[in-house]
Amino acid sequence: MATLTDQMLSTAVGKVSVRRGGTGRPVVYLHSATGEGPGFGLLEDLSDSFDVIAPMFPGFGESEGLDAVDDMEDAAFHVLDVLDVLGLERPALVGLSLGAWMAAEVATRWPDRLSALVLVNPVGLRVDGAPIGEIFGRDPDELAADLIADEQHPIRQAARMMSAAAESKQEIPFELVKPLLQSLAATAKVGWDPYLHDPKLAKRLHRITAPTLVVRGAEDRLVPASHGDAYASAIPGARRADVAAAGHLLGLEQPAQLAALIRDFLGQ
Amino acid sequence: MRFFSFHLMPYPALPPDYDGPAWITCPNRLFDPQVGHEVYNRYLDELILAEELGFDGVCVNEHHQNAYGIMPSPNLIASALARQTTRVKIAVVGNALPLYDPPTRVAEEFAMIDCISGGRLIAGFVVGGGPEYYSFSINPAHARERFYEAHDLIIKAWTEPGPFEFIGKHYRIRYVNTWPRPVQQPHPEVWVPGVGSLETMEFVAAHRYAYMGIPYFHISVFERTFGMFRDACERAGYQADPMQSGWLEPIFVAETDADARRLYEEHFFYFVKRLLPGINIQPPGYTTLRSYESMLKGANTFAINLETWDEVVEGQYAIVGSPDTVYEKLVENLHRLGTGNLLGLFQLGTLPADLTRRNLELFATEVMPRLRKEFPEGQAILQQSEAVA
Repeated sequence: MATLTDQMLSTAVGKVSVRRGGTGRPVVYLHSATGEGPGFGLLEDLSDSFDVIAPMFPGFGESEGLDAVDDMEDAAFHVLDVLDVLGLERPALVGLSLGAWMAAEVATRWPDRLSALVLVNPVGLRVDGAPIGEIFGRDPDELAADLIADEQHPIRQAARMMSAAAESKQEIPFELVKPLLQSLAATAKVGWDPYLHDPKLAKRLHRITAPTLVVRGAEDRLVPASHGDAYASAIPGARRADVAAAGHLLGLEQPAQLAALIRDFLGQ
Repeated sequence: MRFFSFHLMPYPALPPDYDGPAWITCPNRLFDPQVGHEVYNRYLDELILAEELGFDGVCVNEHHQNAYGIMPSPNLIASALARQTTRVKIAVVGNALPLYDPPTRVAEEFAMIDCISGGRLIAGFVVGGGPEYYSFSINPAHARERFYEAHDLIIKAWTEPGPFEFIGKHYRIRYVNTWPRPVQQPHPEVWVPGVGSLETMEFVAAHRYAYMGIPYFHISVFERTFGMFRDACERAGYQADPMQSGWLEPIFVAETDADARRLYEEHFFYFVKRLLPGINIQPPGYTTLRSYESMLKGANTFAINLETWDEVVEGQYAIVGSPDTVYEKLVENLHRLGTGNLLGLFQLGTLPADLTRRNLELFATEVMPRLRKEFPEGQAILQQSEAVA
């Protein structure tokens, strides 16, 4: 298994951290609002087959520059900057949830800048009658249940502890809540209003030319199945795949299965 | 010392079997328009009574989609007060600037109230409560930017000759030319309420406005907050005037201490247990990390956690008792806090009309005159070393 290492990258909005490892075809991974990075099995798995590049979005981890990002359009341009600074001509783009939305925004604007697109439980669209669940202001335990199917997953356990602490009016140490506050603030910047979608995205999806795979966790309780369908039917030639026993944060719950799907799709 | 009667205009008739939040998702079918008709008029009467009783001013504020305070437009109430009073200051504490688009609306309406009242408006600017960012879908991560920008636009609209162009990040208006202009020149006195965020204090200090401490925390939290505000003024290069701060506090006066508690307790707890739930939601990006960390100290003393009357008394969450008791407690606390404005909440929760009227009368006749003597204008109020805070 290749070792992933972190580097700081200078971009127009500020320094952002990028986790990179492996050799082969470049695969850029765009994380969800959870800010998955260090210790994330999917990246390590993929780095056996690919040159895996996982930038942290401004406001997540060590990445700076959130003040210069106001909305999803700024976010898309930031991703383009990252590709440019790294000299990545046509990488494959893989995104989970918020990251998948970002990848779709990049792919509609600059279809020639990617060689393949993998959208895992993407947000970004508004489907009438099938709203995306609330992520802001939720009880941690309840939110985690919407995000992860497996009750014993470490994130579910941590969320239960946070809810119990709040219930018993314990003070939660600032250092523990700080990363959560930062990632939620960053997510709010791009997804508060319109709520986790871009009203213009649907009519632009036809512009995507890269081979596209839309992956859905069969037990995703945050984003209704119709969202994946909407992406798959609007992007020319897009394929669909479902992963069993996986909720919204599919990549954290079934990293090996997702890695296998991606490897298969990218022809490795 | 200036004395204000502050009204939240609470909804007093949540059904007993409703135990959900009073904010954001509190179902609006629970609002009975007939109750609304009665209490709006009753609450207006209570504010008008404050003028007759010799208060220096009245205060109203803005909250949306909730049962805690049914005053989504304090400017409507203030304009009614501008007509129905002749002497008191009318403090709108405040308009939630990021919710007005364009914010020149605030400049216009405040100027109207100032004109109608003959220059009695106190202009309050507020960032808006956490729940309002849910109720309006305004991005909380832009709350402070919008607040500062809207403030600059409003002050400019009042003080610089129009028309002029205003090009900001959030507001772009090619022809700013506000009619009417306020009677008070260059502009009305400005108040800013806050719960302890450092940025708000620094903003108020820099502009030499007045900072109003929002209640419902242990008295030690207020003490720290007003100390921090004075520090912010010092860092801005001057010593804070007592008139630059105000303490908002529930007050209830009855003939005896025992009467006061007996008559007040259930109404206070309706407020705490029925109307506060949901108020403390913190939308993402709304508070900076340094303020969040600072405000964690004392967060557990938020009134919603109160269970017993002893805790209410110990933490001074409300000043309740006979005229003597209320006088003594207010003197002690005002010396501790150093605030030159006392903003009393004389009606709270379900406190009915007769008790509210009696409360106001007793306070105005038995307590206020003695406090005016104790705190003559222009004299220092703070009597404690800063080191203690």
